[in-house]
Amino acid sequence: MGRKRTPYLLLVPQMFLTVLLLIGLITGITQSFGVIPAFGLTEPTFRYYREVLTKPDLVRSVCYSLWIAFVSALLSAAAGVFLCAVLVAGHRTKGKIMRIIQLPIIVPHVVVALFVVNLCSQNGLLARIAFGLGLIGEQQEFPMLIYDRYGVGIILAYLWKEIPFIIYFVISLMANIDRKLGEAAVNLGADRIRAFFCVTLPLCANTICSGFLIIFVFALGAYELPFLLGATVPKALPVQAYIQYTHPDLQNRPYAMALNGIIIVISLLSAAVYFILIRKNLKDLSKTDS
Amino acid sequence: MKKKGKVTDVILAVFVLLIVVPAVVMAVWVFTERWAWPALMPQVFSLRAVKEIFGRCEALLRLLLSSMVISSAVALLSVVIGTMTARALVLYEFRGKGLISFLTILPFMVPATVFAMGVQITFIKMGLNNRITGVILAHLICSLPYAVRLITDGTAAVGDRLEEQARVLGASAGQAFFQVTLPFLVPVLLSSFSMAYIVSFSQYFLTLLIGGGQVKTFTIVMVPYLQSGNRNIACVYSGIFLGITLAVFAVFEKTAEIWSRNTDAEFYA
Repeated sequence: MGRKRTPYLLLVPQMFLTVLLLIGLITGITQSFGVIPAFGLTEPTFRYYREVLTKPDLVRSVCYSLWIAFVSALLSAAAGVFLCAVLVAGHRTKGKIMRIIQLPIIVPHVVVALFVVNLCSQNGLLARIAFGLGLIGEQQEFPMLIYDRYGVGIILAYLWKEIPFIIYFVISLMANIDRKLGEAAVNLGADRIRAFFCVTLPLCANTICSGFLIIFVFALGAYELPFLLGATVPKALPVQAYIQYTHPDLQNRPYAMALNGIIIVISLLSAAVYFILIRKNLKDLSKTDS
Repeated sequence: MKKKGKVTDVILAVFVLLIVVPAVVMAVWVFTERWAWPALMPQVFSLRAVKEIFGRCEALLRLLLSSMVISSAVALLSVVIGTMTARALVLYEFRGKGLISFLTILPFMVPATVFAMGVQITFIKMGLNNRITGVILAHLICSLPYAVRLITDGTAAVGDRLEEQARVLGASAGQAFFQVTLPFLVPVLLSSFSMAYIVSFSQYFLTLLIGGGQVKTFTIVMVPYLQSGNRNIACVYSGIFLGITLAVFAVFEKTAEIWSRNTDAEFYA
């Protein structure tokens, strides 16, 4: 009898926090439909979403954020997987080098922003090196890498932080598969590159996709880097949302929530895909065990 | 074969350099007084920024203390709650298990900004806004999924067979867990603690909104300096905090290593 109740008792604190999370989500979603009784708004409406998706500056915010998130996640995943393969091929999956690679994981995003300012601004070290090499004659000739329209600085900051994350996320699985199945493929006559692309990589695909999704959603919803390194126009979704949220006119609150609503929809879709991927992974793993 | 080894070495060396250089440049900025365009090295070094921060020793200590108290509390709670959740999910069958395991990873997918703006009104109503407890609670929601993920793997690896044996031999449920399973889990618990600590420590937006600027953490204090272009102060703060975090982690990792060596030895003896 005790055994039946135990799991539910163990889950009490977890559920308390989950409920708090859901309250936050649901409040945001109801407010995005313009229902905030405290401000005298009670009629549900799609108006705010319609406006958010048609106002030119807000549409540009949406595109800007999607662009940054997608490019950051794609490049991080690609570079991370490439470096993982290099590490596995060089048998360097443990020891000092892995320790250095894990360093960016503990560095907060605000500090990464500081790094990017130090290196990539028009007064930064890269500009100075370019001047020293005679590539540019004046400070202003160095391309705007931060506060720019394409979010280059933001993307660079994410890459510095997230490539190591992908490596950390994928490396043990890849090393494991390579040791067992990659070797087998090589013994059967495949060359190493073919073995990597036809055996190891497909078996890691789910994990890599999960890593991609985590970074994508994170970059889409994160405030720090676009706030510190982003352009004045266009502004990233979360920055734009916070501006609307703190707008002195409280009637602007639903716009903030509609912008958040867009982030939520994309995030939840990604969450569903992520969950399916790990589920499938678990099933595959149990299949190989039996 | 030899040539290939060289290529991988070069690639890795470049990569390591890209990771380390920004940190080194930051360290140089800590001592920089004047660094005019287009010099590659600062012209004038000084300890002004360092002195300015250590001059207000009390403020710095208070900041260190509140940052570390918040992050440590978050990390500790994450580990305890994470262990409970992991045990429920790994060792028991119950209705709604699929849904609950989905809900445990949901915070990975809900950006902190969205959550913060949605939940602020609830926190205000509960009297948690602008309070350290509120910030801890909000951070906890973001850190917990990392702990749950790590500890779930750990719990699955340890299993409950040894614990059941202990029960058969007359141990209570509590004894069986604390004396049999827990020692095996220590390394994984330490890494969950570190992970949760970092997640909490790195939060800016959530702390800003729920803490309302009243609750000071490292990021809250550092960002205005970065924005106003006061780079050497920002670099000093970053240096201090990164240094402490690294030191704490090194101790943790060493502990985990020694611990697992000892438990293995006992187990196989």
